[in-house]
Amino acid sequence: MQATFAKPIFAVYLGLFLLFLYGPFIVLAILSFQTGPEGGPQFPIVEWSTYWYRHLLGLTPPSRIAPLPINEALVRSLTLAFMTMVVSTVLGTAAAQAFRKRFKGSGIVFYLIVLGMMVPGVLVGLGVALLANFLGIQRHWFSTAFVLHVVYTFPFCFLVMLAIFNRFDQSVEEASWSLGVSPVKTFRKVTFPMIFPGVLSAMLFAFTLSYDEFSRTLFASGRDLTLPLAIYGTFSVEIHPNVFAFGVLTTLFSFALLAVYAILMAASVRRARRSALQEEI
Amino acid sequence: MSTILQLTGVSKSYGEVSALRAVHLDVADNAYVTLLGPSGSGKTSLLRVIAGFELPDAGSVALRGRPIDGVPAHRRGIGFVFQNFALFPHLTVERNISYGLENRETDPVTDPKIWRGRTKDIMELVGLTGFGGRNVNQISGGQRQRVALARTLITEPRLVLLDEPLGALDANLRSRMRAELRQIRERLGIAFLHVTGNESEALAMGDVVVVLDHGAVTQIGDPDTVYNRPASPQVARFLNRYNLFTGQPSTADFQTAHGRFPIAGANVITATGAEPAYAIRYDRIAVKPAAASAGAGEVRVEGAFVASEYTGASVLSFFALPDGKVIEVESHLSQRPPETYEPHAPYSLIWNREAALVFV
Amino acid sequence: MAMTSTLGNAEPTVEPKTRRNLTTAWLLIPGVAWMVLFLALPILMMIYISFWTQTTFTIKSDLTTANWVNFFTSPTYLDSLWTTVRIWITVLAATLIVGYPTALFVGLLVRNKTTQTVLLVLCVIPFWTSFLIRVLAWRPMLGTDGAINLILLKLGLISQPIQALLFSELSVVIGMTQIYCVFMVGPIAFMMGRIDPNVIEAAQDLGAGFWRIFRTIILPLSMPGVVVGAIFVSVMVLGEFATSAALSGRKVNMLGNIIVTQVGSLKWAFAAVVGAVLTVLMGLVVAGLLRIVDLRKEL
Repeated sequence: MQATFAKPIFAVYLGLFLLFLYGPFIVLAILSFQTGPEGGPQFPIVEWSTYWYRHLLGLTPPSRIAPLPINEALVRSLTLAFMTMVVSTVLGTAAAQAFRKRFKGSGIVFYLIVLGMMVPGVLVGLGVALLANFLGIQRHWFSTAFVLHVVYTFPFCFLVMLAIFNRFDQSVEEASWSLGVSPVKTFRKVTFPMIFPGVLSAMLFAFTLSYDEFSRTLFASGRDLTLPLAIYGTFSVEIHPNVFAFGVLTTLFSFALLAVYAILMAASVRRARRSALQEEI
Repeated sequence: MSTILQLTGVSKSYGEVSALRAVHLDVADNAYVTLLGPSGSGKTSLLRVIAGFELPDAGSVALRGRPIDGVPAHRRGIGFVFQNFALFPHLTVERNISYGLENRETDPVTDPKIWRGRTKDIMELVGLTGFGGRNVNQISGGQRQRVALARTLITEPRLVLLDEPLGALDANLRSRMRAELRQIRERLGIAFLHVTGNESEALAMGDVVVVLDHGAVTQIGDPDTVYNRPASPQVARFLNRYNLFTGQPSTADFQTAHGRFPIAGANVITATGAEPAYAIRYDRIAVKPAAASAGAGEVRVEGAFVASEYTGASVLSFFALPDGKVIEVESHLSQRPPETYEPHAPYSLIWNREAALVFV
Repeated sequence: MAMTSTLGNAEPTVEPKTRRNLTTAWLLIPGVAWMVLFLALPILMMIYISFWTQTTFTIKSDLTTANWVNFFTSPTYLDSLWTTVRIWITVLAATLIVGYPTALFVGLLVRNKTTQTVLLVLCVIPFWTSFLIRVLAWRPMLGTDGAINLILLKLGLISQPIQALLFSELSVVIGMTQIYCVFMVGPIAFMMGRIDPNVIEAAQDLGAGFWRIFRTIILPLSMPGVVVGAIFVSVMVLGEFATSAALSGRKVNMLGNIIVTQVGSLKWAFAAVVGAVLTVLMGLVVAGLLRIVDLRKEL
């Protein structure tokens, strides 16, 4: 490409783009150090303090500002995300395995599955709420919301595994069969170990999507709130910098997870490279 | 000698393309059979049907006289060595080899003492002693080939299918492996069906050579017969050793664009469904000065020298006929030292008419 | 064609094609059943309920088209429909304009694979902050005492803080663009990464200029990514209500907001009608986008 001319312009653009992406978060982070409990969620910073962080952790004396109801909601969100991750990964892997051979109606099944991530949360949430009312079932985070989370994350897992299988060379499986090993055992001993990294990314994907899921959960989770719902609850009421402090902490947490994941990946790549020696007979 | 494998009328198409057309084939027990065919001849499809990875559209496959149609691949007792080796990347060399023993459906060997012992024996047979602990990414192509072989042989299959097993190896290795494969097979007394597109490999390694062309078997015979009496012009073309002329045969001669070649005394081969052709092997042609003429019982064409290829034991020379057709002449250097030819200069290419093959 | 044979365990009692179809069925049934029960059924339920009679406190199963008539004759509802479409188009265009050059740069022009990954990760990290927090984060940016106004005032570019930055449709559009543009960048960058640089070099050698190369090579090859990104963004924007609620101070009412308020007052049937309208809108958009590119092949 006309690299000499285009690249600097694009680089500048990228810089602006990143500023656009990170701007609000930077502002949010700055404001999280607002003084409390009187300091409001806007400029100017009356005084720099870590008040709101302490408020989040319950370490400040009681004030008129209620602490974020995060403890139980956090546990619920984590549990829900875990359940969703397991179920949608299993469903996604099974469906992708089925798609390795051509079959009649595969088009319909494909779009039915993919539909799950194309329907806005409000709609399915409303639908499930209506269905639950109609059938007289109570709405709970672990039932009605759970099924919707899977509906949403299953297609993502499916597509990830589909892509993995597309690049999977079937000859190792055939080799296993030719050695007298049954197809089921072949899947256990050959296929699964080889697709495992893909399964892991699908699981990570599903967990992340479920953990932050909001619009589907709004109508479908009943009385007990997940974490995003708890935060939404504070929306309509006054907003205080404690929400900002919370945002910073969750982002740092995600950042830390990503760093751990990156370190583990780099370590395993380095190990693999070291062992790839070439030798002559 | 009994027949280990019998194919009757096996046909297979992929959509519009028919890969196998009513293939009949018998493979004798304890024999090395090579299957020669260019790409697109259906040779890999044939192996996959025999192995049970694909179902034929028609026809039947029988092992030791019993039909195995519909029997899944893992119950056929037929080994398969893949072109890309298909080794298990997450297992060591030792575990790759012992995999079949440990995990097979019938009589799996779960006692580590036993499978370790048998793995050690087979590694010795193929020349991999000491490599057991290595990861399969750490070994060379030739070693991976041996792992693929050992992995199959340890399960004592009745028949082993090899899909271009030497294709991924460099030339030096390939020639060494040819001899080793034959030796290993003879030691174990198993039938090998070895598929290749390389004609010298097929001729060198097989007790029996089967030639496959566009999904049909065109010739079965021992290497000598196939080499000296190809059954059709196509087979002659695969062998890469014959100059072929098209034209019209009559009782006395063969009319081509380059003159009439008398055919009295030549081998006449009836090849059904093929265009008539006249074939003369590369090493049966003598190159003489342009002024030389054909003697009694000889055929002559004139060609201009183009280039020579020196292959160590012989020289392959290329001559262009007036209409652009290229004739190849092979001279073995054990008989005479190489001659130098002048580029673009005309030479007489002369051969004995009885050395030719005429396909009618 | 059942044959018996005593080759080891060989009992081909089941026709192999049937056996294969059974396995496929077993693998698919759980997933398909899940989607039918928990996706298709709820949507159908919603459409069904939209025809129920809505009383003040509850809904009755007497079927009527009153709710539908109500929707299409009420200016509020029609207005929200129009607002939804308007915002959708604006945000879609904005995310495309903002995200495409980034994707082009990162996916195609950055040679080093590590740099590429780092840049993509940088773009994705903001996504890891909870969605709601990200929405909220725009408030202190856009308000009259917000960061943007403060900076512009300090730089002397304006003398009065810009009112319209917050609690307006503009703020909703800005917020949504920032939150969703990463869904454009991702798929497009992915498709860009799959363009063989040799093809571009060959075009350059043949004398094609930048715009020519872009128009004839880069744009067509990146189209699947654009379509995927457009579908993601459209789905999210059309179903939006949180951003419009938080950043517009109830001024901007999208169909999603209407649903939420109706459910809040237990007007299920009304909510169902709005939901049904939104479903139809969604269907049209996605079907239209899918016509541009056959996605199954691209995987």
